[in-house]
Amino acid sequence: MARNLLAAFLVFVALVVQVTILNRLPVMVVPDLVLLVVIALAVIRGPLDGAVIGFFAGLAIDILPPAGDVLGQYTLVMCVVGFVAGKLGEHVPLVAGVLCAVLAPAFTVAVGGLVTDDGVGWTYIRTVWPWVALCNLVAAPVVLWAVRRLHRERGRQPVLVPSWRRI
Amino acid sequence: MRNSRRTRLILGILLAAALVLITVGHRGGDSSVAGPLRQIASSVFGTAEQASTKVTAPVSRFFSMLTGAPGAQQRIDGLRKENAQLRSRLAAAELDKGRSKELDRMLGLSGLGRYRVVPAQVIARRHTAGLEDNVEIDVGSRDGVRRDMTVLNGDGLVGRVVRTGPSTSTVILLTDPGSAAGARLEGGNELGVVNGLGGNGKYGDLIRLRLLDSTVPLKKGRRIVSFGSQNGTPYVPGVPIGEIERVVVTPGELTRTAYARPYANFASLDVVGVVVRAPDRDPRDAVLPDQPAKANPGKKDQAKDHKGKSKDREKRQGDARDASGAVQELGQAAQHDRAARPDRAGGPDRAGGPDGGAAPRRADTPGQAEERD
Repeated sequence: MARNLLAAFLVFVALVVQVTILNRLPVMVVPDLVLLVVIALAVIRGPLDGAVIGFFAGLAIDILPPAGDVLGQYTLVMCVVGFVAGKLGEHVPLVAGVLCAVLAPAFTVAVGGLVTDDGVGWTYIRTVWPWVALCNLVAAPVVLWAVRRLHRERGRQPVLVPSWRRI
Repeated sequence: MRNSRRTRLILGILLAAALVLITVGHRGGDSSVAGPLRQIASSVFGTAEQASTKVTAPVSRFFSMLTGAPGAQQRIDGLRKENAQLRSRLAAAELDKGRSKELDRMLGLSGLGRYRVVPAQVIARRHTAGLEDNVEIDVGSRDGVRRDMTVLNGDGLVGRVVRTGPSTSTVILLTDPGSAAGARLEGGNELGVVNGLGGNGKYGDLIRLRLLDSTVPLKKGRRIVSFGSQNGTPYVPGVPIGEIERVVVTPGELTRTAYARPYANFASLDVVGVVVRAPDRDPRDAVLPDQPAKANPGKKDQAKDHKGKSKDREKRQGDARDASGAVQELGQAAQHDRAARPDRAGGPDRAGGPDGGAAPRRADTPGQAEERD
């Protein structure tokens, strides 16, 4: 129960911080904090919990006030990302986190291209995605470490050593 | 094995739920499921966002100060120069004031070009490069804001309201790839459509103008105002949008395409206004800023930007934040224009592009050399 509350709290804080602080910094590209938190939680807690957390986090992104697009787009993306991160995280936690952080933006655009008709696909992949991926890449280990830290203090779970392979 | 099967089952259910959400959201719009959900989210997250903005305002101000530091000295010089200029102009303005008053009375146009505006502050921003670009502002249905109202700031058009909560509302920006606004070239009747690009591609921070008549000559430096629609929704007429910066050759196409730089600075939106009542008649070009023909207009623009913002802020502080009273007249800009140069009062006859003055000033911008007409 405490773990679930912690997850909900983390996602909520990440959402608010993302839209009120990160997105308003006068730079073009910022890391996607919510995505990274979901990935970190999924890596720590496994594929099932990852998928559920991803689903609800995505739903929250979809209905977060300055929202204009189709309901359910991020729900789908985050759910899949949570599952994949959890699945890969069983074997190679850090690689899983980084890989998901890099690929998720492209996946979001792909889903967006399928369900909406703005037509932004390829230009985005060529021009913006490398920067977003780089940003996420840099921020992912930090978020992973921070979330893991919080979990260790709260839950007394068997802890993963932050390494390339599970020991 | 059992555990893995359970995981797959639940994943399947969740994905199916997501797809159902997408379908329902597509078909029902805001009416069915999305409406109540978003209402709840609006009140919960809106409150949290407001609180967070209040707490972190000094931090973000510090960051914007840090990024603005290199240009600060330049700006101080520019402001000093402008201050001297303004002082000398003030004397002339006193003389002109009497004349303009007379002129106004004679023409009976005093109410023209006036937007009734509710001032608001941007509290949150959603920006996925290439996909969306929305902001949240701190006024809502309680302040008289409704869907499809125009949002502008001291420089020009910002966007339109797409959703309102009790005390916050969502604004889709002009640079969002999904937004489109009717536009008209200054001093003529050529119509077009302005689309956002959302930071996508080579001219990401510009907006795209498609002119419906492909025979009209497009020139760099021509200015665009909003065209307006019935009852002033979603865009009221006559709001300055931007200035054409690059014309693209599109042989064989039915429309002409150009890229324009918006007047509003979308990187640092702060105080904006929601137009709650459109002007009675289309003010056409009268609200456009001065022609940038003087030397060093870049600095001047910056200075003006600053000035406009501080004025807005003053106004905002002055107004009590109640629903009916929080109204300001933006049309003063137009009046001021008329007051300064009464001989040019009728905007539309200031036709044509800038007379060569704009070309040299753009020369310092990289990537402008290949501009063709």
